[in-house]
Amino acid sequence: MSERDSNTGDAHDVTPDAPCAGTVRVDDSGGGIVGNEFAEVGVAVDHSGNGPRLRLEDYRTGRVRNLDALELETIIWLPEERLTQLLDPSTTRWREEPDR
Amino acid sequence: MTTTVPDSARATSRPDYAALIEPSRVHGSLYTDPRVFADELERIWYRSWVFVGHESEVPESGDYVRKSIGPQDIIMTRGRDGDVHLVFNRCAHRGNLVCEDARGNANAFRCPYHGWTYRNTGELLGYPYNKGYGGKGNLDLSLGRVPRVDSYRGFVFASLAEDGPTLAEHLGAAAGEIDRLARLSPEGRIDLGAGWLQHRTRANWKLLAENETDGYHPQFVHSSIFSVTGSPIGPLYSDNSTAVTRDLGNGHSENDLRPEFRRQGEPMRWFGTSESRVPNYVARMREVYGDAADDILTEGAPHVMIFPNLFIAEIQVFVIQPLSVDECVQHSTAVQLGGAEELNSRMVSQSIGSVGPAGMLLADDTEMYERNQRGLEMRQPEWLDVRRGMHREALDEDGYRTGAATDETGIRGFWSHYRRLMEVDT
Ligand code: FES
Ligand SMILES: [Fe+2]
Repeated sequence: MSERDSNTGDAHDVTPDAPCAGTVRVDDSGGGIVGNEFAEVGVAVDHSGNGPRLRLEDYRTGRVRNLDALELETIIWLPEERLTQLLDPSTTRWREEPDR
Repeated sequence: MTTTVPDSARATSRPDYAALIEPSRVHGSLYTDPRVFADELERIWYRSWVFVGHESEVPESGDYVRKSIGPQDIIMTRGRDGDVHLVFNRCAHRGNLVCEDARGNANAFRCPYHGWTYRNTGELLGYPYNKGYGGKGNLDLSLGRVPRVDSYRGFVFASLAEDGPTLAEHLGAAAGEIDRLARLSPEGRIDLGAGWLQHRTRANWKLLAENETDGYHPQFVHSSIFSVTGSPIGPLYSDNSTAVTRDLGNGHSENDLRPEFRRQGEPMRWFGTSESRVPNYVARMREVYGDAADDILTEGAPHVMIFPNLFIAEIQVFVIQPLSVDECVQHSTAVQLGGAEELNSRMVSQSIGSVGPAGMLLADDTEMYERNQRGLEMRQPEWLDVRRGMHREALDEDGYRTGAATDETGIRGFWSHYRRLMEVDT
């Protein structure tokens, strides 16, 4: 039974049991939240297209990105230094040049 | 660096520790003088080896836990390299706390103030709007790293001094007590991942360190828990007991209860149970240790205070964290032994009974610590007497000073090491 099936409202909502902000909630479709005190991202496999893709949602801003299988494979093979570069805030979100 | 305080004046402003610490008595101001506490931070907590945490608390790559070295907030992390790292919880920009949660999993941290990011090993990864710094990668900054980190059987220790005795030298004979604990696991593995309780205590940290192997108080302070639980432990701390108190050197000390347990000769009695109650554990131990198993199961776990802050109390571990001259935090957790499921659940429930929010053991001791701190604020008499059992001490076959079960041998060992550390000039 999904938590939404209940008409008693919030009482049946699933809440993280850990006292720290780290959250992993997995729903029936295999999606969930990967969260820690630094970021919180919703993760789900989206089947609305002709094939599955991973739907990622930044819960702090609502921004969504979908990744297909090849894009995910590429991330897995990304050299460590390249991933590290992406974690520099000026590389991505917080830079002076506008996004193109 | 220049200073306006002449060296001679600075020297005389320090308490004279040789005059405050005598073989049979110590001065009350050692527990109440904020100058002494400031000295202790420099000479003990920020120099000597201090227990920080256990590797089992960060089992997976990216795991982190917030720990402490005295008042210092330390993050213990497991890097992608598989190693355990200790960094100070302080942003290299303008000093904000980088981590807030007690634990979590993150390969990278992001400071909440201006968004600087760090690898969990301390390396600066970047900062927002980098033109303000002339571009990327222009800052030679990182999280502060603890100069020396070493571990023994997963127990992670830190020293904020670049050099000094090694951890092995510091632990000395106390390492053997950690071995004794590990031997109670059929896998030789200790796990301290059960979670930590924290008790804020309005007392000087040394009152706790001294009390941990004070075999004189249990019959008085803990009489209620002994009678309620029917514990066999009480009589081990009496004048009839064959148990001994041992000064292990370097400020470490133990209550060695093995002579009593050997005399009784019943495996698992140290744990207040019998073989038949934990059959799978006992079978596994006999399988792994063969003929040695009987001794291991009979002698039980150590009761050892490892200077200055790690107390292994048979089935629990306590960590003493001083915050100021009259305040500290006691962190406690249940020991968990690899491959000893039958014991582990019992150790958790026994720990809840003794150190949990309604537990009886720690509350009894803490009441004494806080009363002790108040009492020490009285002006007379100025000294604390620590001579009990001096006349009947002897060196054991390994050369360690040993007294009777209720003697203050451990306390005197603490003070002689303390005095050595405190007299050193920085
Ligand atoms: S203080 Fe951490 S980013 Fe400014
Ligand atoms: Fe503001």
